Formats: sequence, structure tokens, C-alpha cells
Amino acid sequence: MPIQEKIQDQSGTSLVKVRGMSFKRGQRIIFDKIDMDIQRGKITAIMGPSGCGKTTLLRLIGGQLRPLSGSITVDGQEVSRLGRRQLFQLRKRMGMLFQSGALLTDLDVFDNVAYALREHTDLPESIIKDLVIMKLNAVGLRGARHMMPSELSGGMARRAALARAIALDPMMIMYDEPFTGQDPISMGVLIRLIKRMNEALGITSILVSHDVQESASIADYIYVLSAGHVVGQGTPQELRVSDSAWVRQFMDGLPDGPVPFHYPAPDYDAELFRIEP
Amino acid sequence: MIKFIHQCQSGLERLGRYGLDFFERLGRAHIFMAYVLLGIKDVLRRWELIITQIYSVGALSFVIIVVSGTFVGMVLGLQGYNTLVDFGAEESLGVLVALSLVRELGPVVSALLFAGRAGSALTAEIGLMKATEQLSAMEMMAVDPLHRVIAPRFYAGVISMPLLAAMFSAVGVFGGYFVGVGLLGVDEGAFWSQMQDAVELREDIFNGVIKSVVFGVAVTWIAVFEGYDTVPTSEGISRATTRTVVNSSLAVLGLDFILTALMFNK
Repeated sequence: MPIQEKIQDQSGTSLVKVRGMSFKRGQRIIFDKIDMDIQRGKITAIMGPSGCGKTTLLRLIGGQLRPLSGSITVDGQEVSRLGRRQLFQLRKRMGMLFQSGALLTDLDVFDNVAYALREHTDLPESIIKDLVIMKLNAVGLRGARHMMPSELSGGMARRAALARAIALDPMMIMYDEPFTGQDPISMGVLIRLIKRMNEALGITSILVSHDVQESASIADYIYVLSAGHVVGQGTPQELRVSDSAWVRQFMDGLPDGPVPFHYPAPDYDAELFRIEP
Repeated sequence: MIKFIHQCQSGLERLGRYGLDFFERLGRAHIFMAYVLLGIKDVLRRWELIITQIYSVGALSFVIIVVSGTFVGMVLGLQGYNTLVDFGAEESLGVLVALSLVRELGPVVSALLFAGRAGSALTAEIGLMKATEQLSAMEMMAVDPLHRVIAPRFYAGVISMPLLAAMFSAVGVFGGYFVGVGLLGVDEGAFWSQMQDAVELREDIFNGVIKSVVFGVAVTWIAVFEGYDTVPTSEGISRATTRTVVNSSLAVLGLDFILTALMFNK
């Protein structure tokens, strides 16, 4: 079935709509007229090989980059047309978990989580303290509130960043490679947390990852990106039985296929035996 | 011949590209500065941010400024005495030391030290914040890093620079006094009274302060822009830090000539 027809445009339920969106870096095309729908209250995984533009897509949705053409609409607002003030208003309702955590290194865990609350609300410090402790308790770091980011393990840093991302009770959280470099215990904790946030708070989640099994275990819907296109989409069950060569290569972790093992290069024999073209 | 023409063409192309890159970056730096200047509202609302940065940028540069100022004053005292004594004018040593420091060496040397100590630190700090996505994280939290991170650092630099230059000149005068009066036997009364007569508040001290404010703007602008505009890799930060020190130093020396020509040209 053609991809265009498969797009699930359930107008009322889509929080993020991407329509005919293209984006280039220099001469390299990252996205070529892609379409996507992120449904409210669901976990949508965006998967694909390294360098296919997954993180770039999150930055486009967050308005940190502007598409070359096409549109990205978040909660009815076209992101690329928003002024700085409107964009910042929209971002107050978005959370983002960066791959590195991106905690502010001069603040301890408590102040990192309290940061957005102090910047955007006039709440008294006693209420901010209660809110921060609640967020930290949700990610299991209530006891680590006085630790500096440099004292945290990778998994703890991401949990602290997750507490910061939910500080303002956003409608949506974007997770950028949350499982990369995590030990099995930290990974299990993060998977459970992402699922729990989604179920308990009804937060729409966009999960960018290339960890197939982990993402498929919690995602409601998956998009597979490669070479600037959406090469597959569906529920995890649908993708597991997909006959698309792109999807099969990615889901089964095959070294060669539509995504070639070799980066484009001159003929191997010709290069070894110095045969002039 | 054809090869030569091709070489000339590619050379011209490179020159053109370099020129375009330069002016594009210059334009970006000015737009950046306009945003930073608009951040004054946030800085005034959150004055504790600027106090923290004045401590980091200014107070932590205090020791190097005081030590350098003392030694520069002592060298001025020694060299000045050796020259003036040949003409029997060693009692004018106070004037020589004070005018040299207040008009030139105070603002210029303290700005060069400021570029090396605080400017490089600002670039590295902001560059690392960019490389570790802290600036992106702020943007995604709807906090403008230009107003929250860059503006307090810029205004702190502009405020700190004249204070450091004044401190440099003050301790330099005492360095010259120590060598001239304490070690070489210049008359103490002549040292201070001639200095008091010759140094003008408006023409010398006020112009020196203007110079240090201009240097403060130039050095801090270069430092924060290089940090914000850096390529977010370890090599990029290293290059940006180097560029901060080199460009700031050149800017200070170039601006010093222009300001001196405008202020003291009779």
C-alpha cells in the first residue's frame, strides 16, 4: 500500500502534522517531502539508521530549525510561521529530553528541575519545592536533589532531565535517543518511565531511537525513516511482519540491503589495481 | 598559460568566498549584539544574574590585574627614573608614571589581560554550553539563551572592564612610587604634587575611562559571540577561544590608536 495512503490523518487526534516537509543541510537532502501524523496521547516512535535525520526532525518540530518547504503543525499552530514570542509560548507546552541530558552544569538537580518553573511562573518557593520533589519522586531521584550533574551516572542524568522536561506539565515530550549508551537496568527504568508518563499523564510522546526492540515494546505507532523518506510505518505488530525490504533490513538489523553496507565509492578492483577510468 | 589563468581564477574565487564569509559573519555578529542589547530588560529584572557574572568575569580577574599593574608601575618607575635623571628631572617621575598608566597602559594592558583571562573563559564556557546542548535545552524550555546567558555576561564584562583598568592604574602608580621614592630616592612631595598638578580629571582620567569602556564592549562582544557562534566540537571550541584572544587583542590595539587620535590629537 502506498505510504501516502497509509498516513493516519485522524484530524482531531493528531497533535503534530507534518505535510510535504523537505529539509536540506548544505547540498544534502535530509527530508524529501515527508508526511507524518503524531497522535495525541500515544507513543510514536521514529526509527531509522544513524544519520537519517531523526534528531533533526525533533528540532524541526520544536521550531529550532525551519523546513525548506512543507509544513509542520503542532496543536493547530504552524511552527515555522510563529514569531519568537509565540514559539516560546508553544514550547512551554513541549518537553524535550536530549540525548546527553543537557542538564545545566552550574545548577544541582533540584535547581535544574525548578529552572523552568522559576522562569515561567510566579509560584512561591515553597510550592516550587513541592512540585520539584514530586517530579523528582516520579523519576526516582528525590534523594539525589542536591547532586550536581557531574556527579550523576548517564542513566540518572537522563532521569533528571526527564523530571525537568515534565516540570511544566507539557502536552508532549520528545525523547531524543533516550536508550543510547544505557546499561540494561537504566534502560529498563527509562522504558518504564516513558510508558508510565504516557499512561498516567496522557502525554503525547515522540520517541526517536534506533533501538528497535526497546522502542517497539512501548510504541503505539512507528515510522521508519531512511534516505530522506518514510520507508515504513505502522503498529509494532504490523512492522514485524512487513515485507518492505527497508523495514526488514532495519527491524532485523541486516548489514546490507536498501541501506548499503558500503558508502558510495569508486570500483574496488579499479582502485586496488590502479586502473585508470 | 592556461594553468596560470586557472590558478588566478581559483585564487580570486577563494578571496571572494573569504570576503563573503567575513561580511556574513560580521553581519551575524551585529544582529547577535542587537538581541543581546535588548536583553537589558531581563538583566535588570534579574539583577542577581549580573552580580554572579561580575564576580566570575571581574572579581576573578582581580589578582592578575593587581599583580600585573604593580609590576608595570615598577618598570615604569625604573625606566622613567633612568631617563629623567639624565636631565635632572627625576622629580617629574610621578607625572610620567601616572599619565602613562591613566591614558594608555591602564586601559590597554588591563584589556589585553582581560581578553586572555576572562574573554577566553567566556568563549570556552558558552561554547561548551552549546556543545553539550545546554543552550538548545534552554530554548526548548522557552528561555532565550541570548537574554538569560549571554546578556548578563556581556553587561558584566562592560561594567568590570573600567573598574579593573582603574585598579590597574591605581596599583601601577603605587608600584612606580615604591621604586621611584622608596628605592631610588625621588622626593616624595615632588612625586605626588607634580602628579596632582599634571593629571587632568577630564582630559586624562575621563578619557582613560572611556577607552576602557570601549575596550570592555569590544572584548566581551568578541568573546560571547565567538562562544555562541562556535562549531560545537572540541576543535571548534579551541579555535573559537584562540580567535577570541587574538581578535580581542588586535581590536584593543586598533581601537586604542583611533581613540588616542580622537582624544589627544592637538
